[in-house]
Amino acid sequence: MLALRDLQAAFAALLEGEDQPGLFDAIVSDTISAPARLRVHRHHVAQSLTGALAATFPTVQAIAGEAFFRTMAMEFVAEELPVQPVLAEYGEGFPAFVSGYGPAATLAYLGDMARLDWALNLAYHTPMVPRLAAPDLAGLPADRLFELKLGLAAGSTLVRSPWPIDRIWQAAQPEAPEGMVSLEDGPAAVLVLRRPDDAAFASLETSEAAFVSALAGGTSLGEAAEAAFSVEPAFDPSTAFARLLALEAFAAAQHEA
Amino acid sequence: MNSTRVAIASALAAALVLPAATSQAQGNMEKCYGIAKAGKNDCQTAKSSCAGTSKKDAQADAWVSVPKGACEKIVGGKLTAS
Repeated sequence: MLALRDLQAAFAALLEGEDQPGLFDAIVSDTISAPARLRVHRHHVAQSLTGALAATFPTVQAIAGEAFFRTMAMEFVAEELPVQPVLAEYGEGFPAFVSGYGPAATLAYLGDMARLDWALNLAYHTPMVPRLAAPDLAGLPADRLFELKLGLAAGSTLVRSPWPIDRIWQAAQPEAPEGMVSLEDGPAAVLVLRRPDDAAFASLETSEAAFVSALAGGTSLGEAAEAAFSVEPAFDPSTAFARLLALEAFAAAQHEA
Repeated sequence: MNSTRVAIASALAAALVLPAATSQAQGNMEKCYGIAKAGKNDCQTAKSSCAGTSKKDAQADAWVSVPKGACEKIVGGKLTAS
């Protein structure tokens, strides 16, 4: 009889794809033999987890096709089983896996699409919290505004890519209009956001992305604007800041004591 | 504050009273229905898996090495020479 620790280790190895004849004695074997029971269970785990990944990464699946996605996802599952019980939280390592997945190497942008899908998944499962609105800042002197540090609202993620990920995402939607996307259209930056009923993203200009990136890194509004100017001299802080406020991209301000 | 900083600070302050801000934000915004519709933590996955469970092990389809999806609409990305 296996010690519990050995039994669990063997079971985990089985789920990762290794045959474990040592487990047979620990499994009921009657109308269905022990090896068959183990195979059924492994099959069930693999199907459930690839199904969960398909739900979390719908764009990747749409681009690569179901059969290809399933094969890729099963290899990931064998490599990285969940470490938490919530299926929607499973797959954080999948974008990196996709980027390094040999058979997908012809689709250089696929890993970035996985990052976008993951950011949308995170946003969608983030509780809706109060956001900063323009009136919250009314009356703040301009110099204080320059020094103000604003954090992105929970669930907001900036995703930047050398590829036109916003247009690729559109092309991968079930109701996408006919038409081709050229990879020469890239690069792109999108801001993924939690909204009351769904997750969504807004495409950003390069300068806006620099602005958001600096803000997300803890830089003050004024210094973030300077960073944006350095990549795009025609950057318009009024328009960019107003747009981000209207998108409700920022967390509600902490009240000063 | 130097003049550049004053200009930036004024521009940021102007954002707070821009009337067109809201309508502007609506443009270029993609709604993502895809992930809103899938119930992932119910028993559906388990059921569909069990329903047809054969005693055969799950085998990755080794021959599925060619992506066949919407990638056909994305040109310029194929790196392989054929």
